[in-house]
Amino acid sequence: MSALQVSQLSVNYEKTPVLWDINFAIPQGKLVGIIGPNGAGKSTLMKAVIGLITPISGKVDFFTKSLKQMRNSIAYVPQRESVDWDFPVTILDLVVMGSYGSLPLFKRPGKQEYLKAENYLKKVGLFELKDRQISQLSGGQQQRAFIARALMQDAQIYFLDEPFAGIDHSSEKIIIDILKKLTKENKTIFVVHHDLNTVESYYEWVILLNMRLIGCGETKEVFTNKNLQSAYGKNFSLFDDAIKLSKKISTGLD
Amino acid sequence: MYSNPYNNTNFFEFFLQAFWRMIGFIKGDLSYNSLVSDEVQLIVLTLVSASTALVGCLLVLRKMTMLANSLSHTILIGIVVAFLITTRGSIESSHDANMTINLSAMIIASIATAFLTTFLTEFFVRILKLQEDASIGIVFTFLFALGIILVTTLTRNAHLGTEVVMGNVDALQLSDIFPIAMIFLLNGVIISLFYKEFLVSTFDPLFSSAIGISTSFFNYLLMFQVAITAIGAFRSVGVLMVLAFITVPPLTARIFTKHFSTMLLLSLMIGIGSSWIGVAFSRHILTIHDIALSTGGLVVCVMTVIFLLSIFTFLFRKPNFLNKFRMTPSDELLNG
Amino acid sequence: MESPLNFFFDPILRAPTLGSMLMCLTASLVGVIVFLRKRSLLGESLSHASYPGVILGVVIAGYIGLSDQNEAVLSLLVLIGGFFSALLGLYSINFLENNLKIKADSALCVILSTFFGVGITLASFVQFNYTNLYRQVQSYLYGQAATMTDINVIIYGILTIFVIVTILLFLKEIQVLTFDRIFSKTIGIPIVVIDMIFFILIVLAVIIGIRSVGVVLMSAMFIAPASAARQYTNSFSKMFIIAGFFGLLCGFLGNYLSVEISQYLAHIYPNERVSIPTGPLIVLIASLVCFWSLLFAPRQGLLFRIVRIAKFKLQTLEENVLKTLWRRGEPLTLKDIQAYQNGNIFTMWWILNLLQKRKFIAKSSHTYYLTDIGKIVAAKIVRLHRLWEVYLANYLEIGVEKVHKSAEEMEHVLTPELEKELTAFLQDPVLDPHHQPIPAK
Repeated sequence: MSALQVSQLSVNYEKTPVLWDINFAIPQGKLVGIIGPNGAGKSTLMKAVIGLITPISGKVDFFTKSLKQMRNSIAYVPQRESVDWDFPVTILDLVVMGSYGSLPLFKRPGKQEYLKAENYLKKVGLFELKDRQISQLSGGQQQRAFIARALMQDAQIYFLDEPFAGIDHSSEKIIIDILKKLTKENKTIFVVHHDLNTVESYYEWVILLNMRLIGCGETKEVFTNKNLQSAYGKNFSLFDDAIKLSKKISTGLD
Repeated sequence: MYSNPYNNTNFFEFFLQAFWRMIGFIKGDLSYNSLVSDEVQLIVLTLVSASTALVGCLLVLRKMTMLANSLSHTILIGIVVAFLITTRGSIESSHDANMTINLSAMIIASIATAFLTTFLTEFFVRILKLQEDASIGIVFTFLFALGIILVTTLTRNAHLGTEVVMGNVDALQLSDIFPIAMIFLLNGVIISLFYKEFLVSTFDPLFSSAIGISTSFFNYLLMFQVAITAIGAFRSVGVLMVLAFITVPPLTARIFTKHFSTMLLLSLMIGIGSSWIGVAFSRHILTIHDIALSTGGLVVCVMTVIFLLSIFTFLFRKPNFLNKFRMTPSDELLNG
Repeated sequence: MESPLNFFFDPILRAPTLGSMLMCLTASLVGVIVFLRKRSLLGESLSHASYPGVILGVVIAGYIGLSDQNEAVLSLLVLIGGFFSALLGLYSINFLENNLKIKADSALCVILSTFFGVGITLASFVQFNYTNLYRQVQSYLYGQAATMTDINVIIYGILTIFVIVTILLFLKEIQVLTFDRIFSKTIGIPIVVIDMIFFILIVLAVIIGIRSVGVVLMSAMFIAPASAARQYTNSFSKMFIIAGFFGLLCGFLGNYLSVEISQYLAHIYPNERVSIPTGPLIVLIASLVCFWSLLFAPRQGLLFRIVRIAKFKLQTLEENVLKTLWRRGEPLTLKDIQAYQNGNIFTMWWILNLLQKRKFIAKSSHTYYLTDIGKIVAAKIVRLHRLWEVYLANYLEIGVEKVHKSAEEMEHVLTPELEKELTAFLQDPVLDPHHQPIPAK
């Protein structure tokens, strides 16, 4: 039984295909890197899988169950720039938000949740900063706080969108260590990754895509020159031109 | 023929008088009906500023203040239509320019116009492909212009147009207290029940949707709250100044705290405090200088002064105060 | 009924009319820049910010004992007061955004409402102390074009000329700065100076305008003409001309219709004194012009887009019919053809008629067949379809079963240029992924 199985997933953005006919299955307990050039649809894949975007076709299963059934076992860490860091909350408050999904509608987080949050802050090395306002943190510290929030959710499957973008080395090391530890606990983790240099040392599995799936499997088998050429190569420009034209015509702008 | 115990009081005597009256009220010597106009103003403005402070914090943090501006303008046309429908308006019968329309009609009207405004704006952005800032501007100025034309031609009371915009605190009566109290209660209940949902959907909309808390549902809920709060406020402070009540106390509070809950509380206090000072000031100026200034305007002036003082105090006490608002350290490093 | 020309010469009508037209012209010209900078709500904020200054001007006038009759000095005081007040508002907005990191929408709303509140307080002061001047205060809320005099027109005229000349002088700097700020910096455009000029222009436009349409509605005159003009042209300089024209039109029509409709209503309800206020009417007309342009402007208007989409859909249906005939290689009846398409029998019959008119197909007894020209057209479509399939299957590694659906769509879209590129790129293939022959060029 796969932790995540995606079948025939296609996603459009305003009539332009962004993801086309994606099929793959990932076993449990793997640390998976999602890689591809800019605009390849990596973030979109993640958002479509957890239901933030509606695909035009396709099926997604988590341990053979639907998203609705498995929602409480899935944790999502969005890109850092999607958040307003001037918001008046402390790091501790931020991490506590991780419990909001499991608390019923009118219930506030209590002592238990705050203790748990402090515990996870210790794990990511931010306990001393717990009362700081979030705008006073560096990029790496913000990302670690995000990780702590995700850990609060006690999930089986984790989705992280570009966690390593623009953070310092020590934060990156702390985070990748935590992620590897999680896989030892049999959690499955998906990371949208942009730095090809670190793929082989971080990820045991990769999903390589550029609008369509080029390869999915163990890094040593999929992360080859031939596949990278396919993903990052020039075959696409004609397609882009044609799609742009099709979009223009279908919205009546020509 | 009663006399107003606040007549001829100056600023400090005003508060003294209010204090005594409050004690009398608690002891049971004074009844609800013996409230005088100054006290009615205090109570109504207190409730209005409390509602707007709460709703305003969310609007400011969600960057929806222009939407609130838009809605507070377009509410005019809702009021006019409600007025016409409930009085079966023809030009002749609209002599009664008192605009005392029943409350439920006004609430329905305000919610309807909120939806109309949002729908039209979305239509301009999505279907007509006009840029968002222009769409917002066109929709609300068009509806407001329409509303003004209807008001002036159908009620032929030129002052009505000004009153809608400026409000008339001095015309407040005892019967105005109940509706605004209900609105405040509703706002308070909604925000405390949904506190964490509002918090997370404002701070991180994507994460919020991912854990099952719908950002768009809470946007609509907030819009509903803006609509009813604006209706509650327009009689006293008018549709344009209510925007000050919505934005200034929350921004002032934000300077002092990094906690969302404290920000709510502080905005409440600043809003209510400004209202009291404003009413007292109004009475003071009337007593000393025999000039009746707009009380609503004075409250806004007080809020502005408090905002300015907050900025300056911190500027000079803590030299690196502005750093609190500067970019995060990593950005500064990147930009060299 | 007045003749329109009268509005320019009659001593009572000409000042409001000309004054409004000048004001709308200025606002629409500056509005083009505001629109392209995507700061349309700045006009809203600044017009409210000018209000306390306007009132202060009135207060000073009252203090030095001016009466309602000293129109010139009064106007100047009001203009100067409004100018500095709006400028202060602008500076405050920038300070809030840049130094206090307050978000743009909050900054605009704070300045809008606080300045306005101060203005209202001052207005109530005027109401009691200088009651004879209170009317002045009122007239700036929603505008009162009707009481404008020739002196106003002269003052506004001078300011308008100043605005137009400034825009002309700095046209290309404004263009490049608005379009690409970073690039402008690299080629040495004095950004601070040009920004300052823009700020002064917008403040001038505001204070000229508030007499006609008032503080509350002023922002519409920045947005509506510019948005409308955008629909008719892609050229920066042409946009100014079209927006200016719309501005003049709205200014005129607002006054004209206000008088005409008021007279008409006075006719019907002689006992009431009904009149349509000019300011809101100008805004109404401007919004309607904008709305009209968004719908009906040639090329970009919604209506034309819908028509173009429908035309394309029709073309697709026609080409699909030709393809079917080509593939089957034999004459087919109406019913046969319909079996291969989506659509009812009536649509089919109509399409076949259209194709007959274009001489692509011909009819004999009850069947239809391709003419020689029709065969060529059909072959071209099939060629595009199959070329696309090869591209998807061999170069993008889409599964062979999946390519057909995309090709069904793209065969109607590919232009001759794209076809040429495809042929070259794929090295003129002969067979498609389904091993069917690809028609030659």
